[in-house]
Amino acid sequence: MIIEQLESPLPGSLLRTLPGSAYTDPEVFAQEQEKIFEQMWFCAVRSSDVAKPGAFKTIQVGREAIIVSRNRKGEARAFFNVCRHRGMQVCQGENAEGQRTFQCGYHAWTYDLDGKLIAAPNLTKMPDIDRDDYGLRQVAVREWLGYVWVCVAENPPSFEDTVLTEVVDRLGTVSNLDHYAVDTLAVGKRIVYDVKSNWKLIVENFMECYHCATIHPELTEVLPEFADGLAAQVFVNHGAAFGEDIKGFTVDGSEGFDLLPGVTADQARKYYAITIKPQVFINMVPDHIIFHRMYPISADRTIVECDWLYAPSVVESGADLTASVELFHRVNSQDFEACEQTQPSMSSRLYRDGGVLVPAEHHISGFHEWHQSMLAK
Amino acid sequence: MRICSLAELARGEALRFDGVSPPIAVFHTEDGQVFAIDDTCTHQDASLADGWVEGCEVECPLHASRFDLRTGAVDAPPAKRGVRSHSVTLQDGEIHVTLSEDVPALPPGVSY
Repeated sequence: MIIEQLESPLPGSLLRTLPGSAYTDPEVFAQEQEKIFEQMWFCAVRSSDVAKPGAFKTIQVGREAIIVSRNRKGEARAFFNVCRHRGMQVCQGENAEGQRTFQCGYHAWTYDLDGKLIAAPNLTKMPDIDRDDYGLRQVAVREWLGYVWVCVAENPPSFEDTVLTEVVDRLGTVSNLDHYAVDTLAVGKRIVYDVKSNWKLIVENFMECYHCATIHPELTEVLPEFADGLAAQVFVNHGAAFGEDIKGFTVDGSEGFDLLPGVTADQARKYYAITIKPQVFINMVPDHIIFHRMYPISADRTIVECDWLYAPSVVESGADLTASVELFHRVNSQDFEACEQTQPSMSSRLYRDGGVLVPAEHHISGFHEWHQSMLAK
Repeated sequence: MRICSLAELARGEALRFDGVSPPIAVFHTEDGQVFAIDDTCTHQDASLADGWVEGCEVECPLHASRFDLRTGAVDAPPAKRGVRSHSVTLQDGEIHVTLSEDVPALPPGVSY
């Protein structure tokens, strides 16, 4: 229903985008939840947000409510937040710490931190109930880059073939990301943006830099090559170089912090960016990482949680992060404002067949083809 | 009465032994002590062997009353009565329990 247009590209410079309805239709959004977000690996929470045994956070993945937690041994765990008895959500609230069990508030069915059913009123009188079979249903988990990733699919795809392959496609090798040791960094700042736009507009925005010189004056000052409109994400392992008089990745080009320990000479004055479909953006600069996670809420609303990650010594020192954080906070605000001002047009008659991509944006059609293929499954 | 060998019950673990009536719970604490008390919470039918052990106390998994593993005494409602404690001896690496002769305190509606 969506993208017949892609098969008949416009002559010359332009390619079609998705039609407007792909960004507004609740039915398309429902299909995306089922066929994209409930099938793929989803970057759920920062590991330090569930640091200790018994900590949990509740999140939404597609249509599913999920508990992300840590067991008594300190291993990350994730479960469907559905009591196996009569279905009440077992964990209420967004997060808590120090839980010894997960206990449903309805009939007190009680699960241990590995999800096993350990107690319920009169359970000892029902010895035929298998405590593993009636445990909280587990969700696949993987800790990587200091985040807990989950996959709610019955048969999760290989993490290597999906998530890591996206990194290889962009950076050539995973080791080019490993140099930043993202898992060892500390959250210096987190800003949560409530964006009134479809999640795909945010992905498309992040993938191209044709808009950079227009809406990102501060960023283009730091990364002058962005003025030519070609994004760091068009090429393989292409970092955008800092301008000559730029001392650091800060809002005014002033000095940043010490290089992260593993950063190579080639990475020392460059910005790199990766999109890990469907909901993660990673921005790498020499002294910190800016890590975005998107939580699509509806066809026209997306929560974006953005972490600024620094060496733990920088965060512990109480150093002033303002100039450092402010640069990408402005970029985020500028981008999300553009997305919000684009969203209303998605339902315009004028946009029924979509818009167009110029050559500097042609790689976005790869995202559209991926989207089409996922929904066709 | 032999329960099991000490090697079968790791530190931090507990087991429900239902070879007696009412069943008992045997605990091997993190610091290496072994205790036995009645397994059934006196408030509602729940197995204390599935509870959370900290120090010499076990917290009932259902409603969090805590029982002293040494005496069976309860700290706070909703359970109001303690459980029986049983004497434990270790012989050649085997856990043996001698049952208390007191009358067990069972929750309403539960009988063995």
